[in-house]
Amino acid sequence: MEPAMGMGLVALMGAAATVAGCSEDLESDIGSQSNPNSQVQLAAQVGYPHRIFNKAISGEPPSNAMYCAVGAGVAMMLMSESVMSASPLLAIAIGAFVAALLNGVFSTTAYLGRNASQTRFNQYVYLDVLRNQILSLMGHAYIATFCIVGLSYVLWEQTLIGHPFPFPVIALIWGLCVGAIGSSTGDVHYGAEREFQDFKFGSGLNAADSGNITRFAEAGVRSSMDNAWFCSKFGGPATGVAFGMVVFLDNWRSTAFAEVLNGWGAVLVGLVIVLALVIYNRQIETYARKKYGPYPEYAGDIEA
Amino acid sequence: MSVAAGGEAVSTETANQVDTKGIVVGLVGIYIAGIAADAGIPYLIFLAGIGAVFATKMGADAVRRVCSYGIGTGVPSIGMLALGMGLISAMFGLALGAIIGVPYVGPIVGLVVALVIGFIVGTLANKVIKLNIPVMERCLMEIAGAGVLVMTGLAVMIAGSMDFAVISEKVITTGYIAPVFILGALGILHPFNASLGPDETQDRTLVHAYSVGAIGMTIAGVCSIATINPIAGIISIVIGLAIWYANFMGFVRLVKRDAGAGYVGTGLLPPGAM
Amino acid sequence: MTDVTIMGMLAGNLPSIIGIIIGGLCIAVGVHFVPVGGAPAAMAQATGIGTGTVQLAAGSGLTGLLAAGYMYMVMSAGGAEVGMSQIALICATGAVGAMIMISVTMLVGNWVYIYGVGVPPASAKRDYDPITKDPQAPYVAAGTVGQGLPTVCFVSGAIGGLLGGLGGSLIYCMLMWVNADPAISSIFAIGIFVVNAVLPSYNIQGTIEGFHDPKFKRVPKAIVACFVASLLCGIIAVIIPSAAMLAGGA
Repeated sequence: MEPAMGMGLVALMGAAATVAGCSEDLESDIGSQSNPNSQVQLAAQVGYPHRIFNKAISGEPPSNAMYCAVGAGVAMMLMSESVMSASPLLAIAIGAFVAALLNGVFSTTAYLGRNASQTRFNQYVYLDVLRNQILSLMGHAYIATFCIVGLSYVLWEQTLIGHPFPFPVIALIWGLCVGAIGSSTGDVHYGAEREFQDFKFGSGLNAADSGNITRFAEAGVRSSMDNAWFCSKFGGPATGVAFGMVVFLDNWRSTAFAEVLNGWGAVLVGLVIVLALVIYNRQIETYARKKYGPYPEYAGDIEA
Repeated sequence: MSVAAGGEAVSTETANQVDTKGIVVGLVGIYIAGIAADAGIPYLIFLAGIGAVFATKMGADAVRRVCSYGIGTGVPSIGMLALGMGLISAMFGLALGAIIGVPYVGPIVGLVVALVIGFIVGTLANKVIKLNIPVMERCLMEIAGAGVLVMTGLAVMIAGSMDFAVISEKVITTGYIAPVFILGALGILHPFNASLGPDETQDRTLVHAYSVGAIGMTIAGVCSIATINPIAGIISIVIGLAIWYANFMGFVRLVKRDAGAGYVGTGLLPPGAM
Repeated sequence: MTDVTIMGMLAGNLPSIIGIIIGGLCIAVGVHFVPVGGAPAAMAQATGIGTGTVQLAAGSGLTGLLAAGYMYMVMSAGGAEVGMSQIALICATGAVGAMIMISVTMLVGNWVYIYGVGVPPASAKRDYDPITKDPQAPYVAAGTVGQGLPTVCFVSGAIGGLLGGLGGSLIYCMLMWVNADPAISSIFAIGIFVVNAVLPSYNIQGTIEGFHDPKFKRVPKAIVACFVASLLCGIIAVIIPSAAMLAGGA
């Protein structure tokens, strides 16, 4: 393969990954999936019933791995010669659609099941909450799955990059990866900031306030759609950047430097990237410490 | 999950009943499907899927029992552990059948190996890592066993044979094993995870397990269109969707029952919370 | 009857079993290095990455596995023998892939903590960061056990990614030695990986800050458990032949 072509493909995969990461994070914010879910679940128990969508589909990484693996499996079936040799784009679109349907079914059962299991805390099952959010969830899941299955196809297709793993297995791994990234980056913006917007910015969340989530909006009762609006300003794009960076940096170093020093060039470049990230992280850490200063409530005797 | 922590779960169907049904129906379904397909009748492969549905329910019930003890890292991890063991055991069973030249021992060998590994890993978790959950060994055995049956069942559905060479070619090399693996895992994990809370009831969780198992069966049917023949695949899809629909509606009915007056079309927050 | 026999597979693949055990132990130790705060971290109530141990270890280790799988194919192109030096390179590639994934995740996580939530990264387990010597306690918000990823956690996480990726890639290489089939090897590597990632996560009860955390002293227990589990998985995995071997021997 021409080096320019390889770089183009890697860039394309990075771009698809950025969209996928952003969409995946917004999906989990609307549904309150993953760890912020614990607060939504807790809220009713500590006396704050709410109208926020509450779903958990076995953790964000496995559920995204499922959408992507199923999407790739269906696409693979459609592309196989014994069925219809469909064009990859069409096959991936249909596969992602099937995955979005599964997302709809799993989200519905999760919302109904979780709220019905909290009846004693006065937590209602609101059918309009379900109806309003479900299509948005499915839509975001569709975009994320389409992009990830697409980038897995580019990685797998023998005339493009030609990875030896089977197509659905690659999609499974990237699905797991995007879920892990989404739940560690973008979800923090939802869980630590949006769910507790009543509290002073930067005050941290005292454990005693757990479950006291923000349930009212500018006007009326807050819905999960408002959460997507807020998180799309920062948490979602940040997740997208993270996943795009992972896909791009990892594939870039292994494609562009595979020939240098019998392959050890790719390893060295990777180590340099990690080192640069450590240094950059140290810089933003000191920036935050200087900018925000120590907490005024701190009463210990350690000098800040 | 601290929410449900607090000891033994209440059940209307005992663990032994669920396990017996899961193992018997699971194995019988897989064997009828496998033998019929080898005899040249691929249209019965959906029976392997039905076996997988019952095995899913067995795993879901085990997850329900073990997770009511609060295991520290959330519901999904225990299922991933068991499914990892289940995957290895299932493939080992089928491969052993191929090595000794008797493919039909595959599912049983896989099941036995999974039970043994599940027991050893459960003992390790309890005795070495000191989790001290009384039902850990038994539940890990059940989840790993259910994992084997689900994965063998769905793999037989896609391959249309119990021969490891055929499964290897049609399920593993093509990569259909990935959706089978993760749908099997979610089928076992999702029912309890989606009903987590103090008012969770066993019948609702288990009906949900049937419906998620049927989703796995349907997707396996979709994949089998490419690997066996379209008619057999479509039969599996239709039957899978029918099982899913019946159980999904049953689940919604039980949600209505459990939520009682809290099942509302719309409305502001309940009285006293505004 | 085939000439693939169980004892033959076992005896012939002893190095692979040992490799799988080493890989499993790498993953087990690696999980202890990854700073995960679980659900509280997602609310900025605890130091570390706001997700589950298994999920993160699997996410990074399997990303490394993808890189290793590609490198293995490049190394073995044209039927070239994959020996020890090639395996070292493949494992290094996988390890660095996992390091990149986890470092990017931690960095962007810190962006969110610092710019989105407005809290400085701080560890509550130590008064001073062991690497930078910065005081930590004054920067821990009231009522929490730290937040974000200070330098020591970041470095620890990168080491965890390295070990996880190394272990996953080593298991993959060992399986490729046995059956030379990327499809079987990859799915098996995933299976062995999750077993070895979940057991240690029970050991740390779901959360740990890194190598400076007192919980890190529990590593020996996880090593014992994962040794037995990997041994079992290894024995089983090397018996499974590829379809090509069955067809060739029949």
